Amino acid sequence: MKRLSLLLAILLPSAFVQAQEQQFQTVITPAFTPITWERLANAGDEPENWLMYSGTLDSQRHSLLDQINTENVSEMEMKWAYQIPVIDRAETVPLVVDGIMFITEAPSNVTAVDARTGGVYWRYDHDLPEDLRICCGRNNRGVAILGETLFMSTLDAHLVAIDARTGNLLWSTEVAPYASGYSKTAAPLIVKDLVVTGIAGGEFGIRGFIDAYDPETGELVWRTYTIPGPGEFGNDTWSGDSWATGGSATWITGSYDAELNQIYWGTGNPGPDWNGDVRLGDNLYSDSVLALNGDTGEIEWHFQFTPHDVHDYDAIQIPILADIEVGGEMRETMLWANRNGFFYTLDRATGEFLYGDTFATVTWASGLDAIGRPIRVPGMAPTYEGVMVSPPIVGATNWYSPAFNPDTGLFYVTTFDGEQEFFKRDEDYEEGERYTGGGGRYTQPMDAFHSSIRAIDPTTVDIVWEFPIMPRSSAGITTTAGGLLFSGSADGFFFALDAESGEELWNVSLSRRVHAAPMTYEVDGEQFVTIASGNVVFTFGLRD
Amino acid sequence: MSKHSGFRGGWLLASAAFALSILPVPRALAEDAGNLYNTLVDIRLGERYFERQCGRCHGFDATGNDEAGGPDLTGRLTRASTDVAIFNVIRDGIPGTAMLPVPENVPDPQVWQLVAYLDSLRYDPESVVLAGDADSGSDLFWSGSDCADCHMVSGRGSRFGPDLSRIGENRAPDDLLADMINPQEDVAPRWWRLRVTGPDGVTREGYRMNEDSFSVRIMDDDENLWSFHKDDLQSYERIEESTMPSYAQTLSESELDDLVAYLFSLRREEI
Ligand code: HEC
Ligand code: HEC
Repeated sequence: MKRLSLLLAILLPSAFVQAQEQQFQTVITPAFTPITWERLANAGDEPENWLMYSGTLDSQRHSLLDQINTENVSEMEMKWAYQIPVIDRAETVPLVVDGIMFITEAPSNVTAVDARTGGVYWRYDHDLPEDLRICCGRNNRGVAILGETLFMSTLDAHLVAIDARTGNLLWSTEVAPYASGYSKTAAPLIVKDLVVTGIAGGEFGIRGFIDAYDPETGELVWRTYTIPGPGEFGNDTWSGDSWATGGSATWITGSYDAELNQIYWGTGNPGPDWNGDVRLGDNLYSDSVLALNGDTGEIEWHFQFTPHDVHDYDAIQIPILADIEVGGEMRETMLWANRNGFFYTLDRATGEFLYGDTFATVTWASGLDAIGRPIRVPGMAPTYEGVMVSPPIVGATNWYSPAFNPDTGLFYVTTFDGEQEFFKRDEDYEEGERYTGGGGRYTQPMDAFHSSIRAIDPTTVDIVWEFPIMPRSSAGITTTAGGLLFSGSADGFFFALDAESGEELWNVSLSRRVHAAPMTYEVDGEQFVTIASGNVVFTFGLRD
Repeated sequence: MSKHSGFRGGWLLASAAFALSILPVPRALAEDAGNLYNTLVDIRLGERYFERQCGRCHGFDATGNDEAGGPDLTGRLTRASTDVAIFNVIRDGIPGTAMLPVPENVPDPQVWQLVAYLDSLRYDPESVVLAGDADSGSDLFWSGSDCADCHMVSGRGSRFGPDLSRIGENRAPDDLLADMINPQEDVAPRWWRLRVTGPDGVTREGYRMNEDSFSVRIMDDDENLWSFHKDDLQSYERIEESTMPSYAQTLSESELDDLVAYLFSLRREEI
């Protein structure tokens, strides 16, 4: 503790603090204290902080803060804006720890700012090579924290540890060779004394995995491949050697259940994306959710949403863990609105499929069978000439976070009802080259489509309400105990809806695409809501 | 750019490789070595590479992708007008934008094949022989027909249709013909109509100037601009149709040819 206060003194020289006090008459922000595993495991109990990408280990993205609520949300105003100096869209979900906010920026940087003012404490700039292999932009979605250390994925497929007080680099571990097509964009997940993290590169013929690292040293503790190797269960679901270049990336953050000691993580498309001829079979464990043992990483169960996918329907969604009543019985479930257009409720202890149904326009499958396998519609696989299919490549939903609000019992997800022509091409695998086997084309302007926020009753998959937004949204969702749902839109709005009814209560135009999820926190008794739009991070609060 | 099939005889077009093979070498190219990789096979290989590496931003068929921000590459390019310049854009990227250079290990011939493919999507307007007469087309546009009641060219005309001052740069002759005989195909969202009843109970109709998640703006037939919060609307109807009539019946083939020739001549002055 002595060392801590010493460091804090360096961080906030007392003269500076005094000046602040006189000028703005604020209280000193609370002392930054180390984030223990216990604090992370009970993150919901300290809603003033936002301690991990999805808020809590069950990833419900539901905050207990209620100072801003359905009654007063219309009085929200902007408190500060932080301009990210790099021109690129931000996908960041900042963390807030005891009044300090950690914002990740494109390409692979992180900045610590004062959560009340946006004033910068420090920046960490990650050196990157010039010949990166990235499929979809220079993105980073956020950091994880344990103790006094931040952990961040980088585009050159490193995992770095950064001192939370100073921004100094502590260690940098190469997770995989970037030149072979690997990259990293997602926030890691802390599980006890491990940094659990995934990999991107599903468009480059990589072999996906989920890793756990020692937070002190950066050494690999375990690796679980998301494609079984020769001799392992499931390897025979890939024809020939196709398993070795089968993708199945893990580019979004998972969830953790401490009682079951299981880590849940989604996996991406099999590669090449749109040409399944070269990888006949179910292609395990692509487009699946894996339940891994929290200590060893061993696969305890798997559930494959889209066997032998040819439409790029990654199961790269956040697993939401919720205990809900199913058929009169409380069940430990996992709720999952998939890119493929189906919503699934699984038993998270066993992976058993409880039920599912479409939540958006779907033409590639006519339904799910008793064990949750899709019933395919013939003639929907991509062709050389092109074939029209819903959902389009971007999916009925995608990586952007959904939310579950225990007060309303509703699951909220940003959905898209669109269609696209899918093409197949023949391609040879070349290391470090794109390996997708085709592509897609819209035949209508984007304005012909729109997105909706849908509120889904997870016990029936009924859509209880929906709120249309234009055009296609890629914004995540957060709900609060104030009865609110926050989200954004591609046309640059940030807005609050009544989580119960879907009624719009407040909106503000930030003018640039919202391509991230909101988060909320409290400093000195004042609640704030933060969202990234374009490459600016905006923070709102109630009018003083 | 849309894919119209309304090809009529009369002028010589632009079906990629064919046009390339008959083109005189454009002036700018005479100064450099020119593209040595522009056989049909090279174009095919360029297309394959394009679909694989570039399509995700520029569209699978190079017509652009609104979301990824890659522009349409089938019309006139803004950053490059010669093959060498296109080569350099691909080789070096465009600093400060999502347009990154191709990896260093991609050999030059492969980049030239990309250039050949992009060239095949365009053609040298000088080489296009049209049956119609641009001057007669101009007369028809400005006085013989009602085009100028809706369209503007170089600041003259009206606001009820797209400005056609540079329409020849991005539309091939067969597209222009299709625009006139089949205006209902591929109507851009800006030209859709909205019929809305506002909080005052009055129903107004007009061009859809803008629509976002929470508001709409229309221009009515008296050129008034109206803006509404969607919340306040009593009714909202979107008509995804063009106000432009088809001229297939009302104009003769030769009149249409003349109009095509005129529209095709509407281009930015060459520098
Ligand atoms: C990550 C997205 C992305 C990829 C991949 C990409 N481009 Fe681009 N490209 C852009 C953007 C954005 C621009 C416009 C930049 C500007 O001018 O602001 C552009 C501009 C261009 C231009 C200049 C257009 C003009 O009007 O002058 C050419 C030519 C081009 N790209 C060719 C290619 C080729 C060939 C490839 C594949 C090797 C490719 N691009 C891959 C995003 C991309
Ligand atoms: C009543 C108004 C109206 C009249 C009259 C009219 N147009 Fe149009 N025109 C439009 C509108 C609106 C559009 C855009 C929607 C569409 O694609 O049809 C359009 C589109 C076009 C386009 C395609 C423009 C582009 O950017 O793709 C061309 C070319 C064109 N018109 C030519 C003509 C010519 C030539 C005439 C006269 C023979 C004419 N128009 C008469 C309203 C009109």
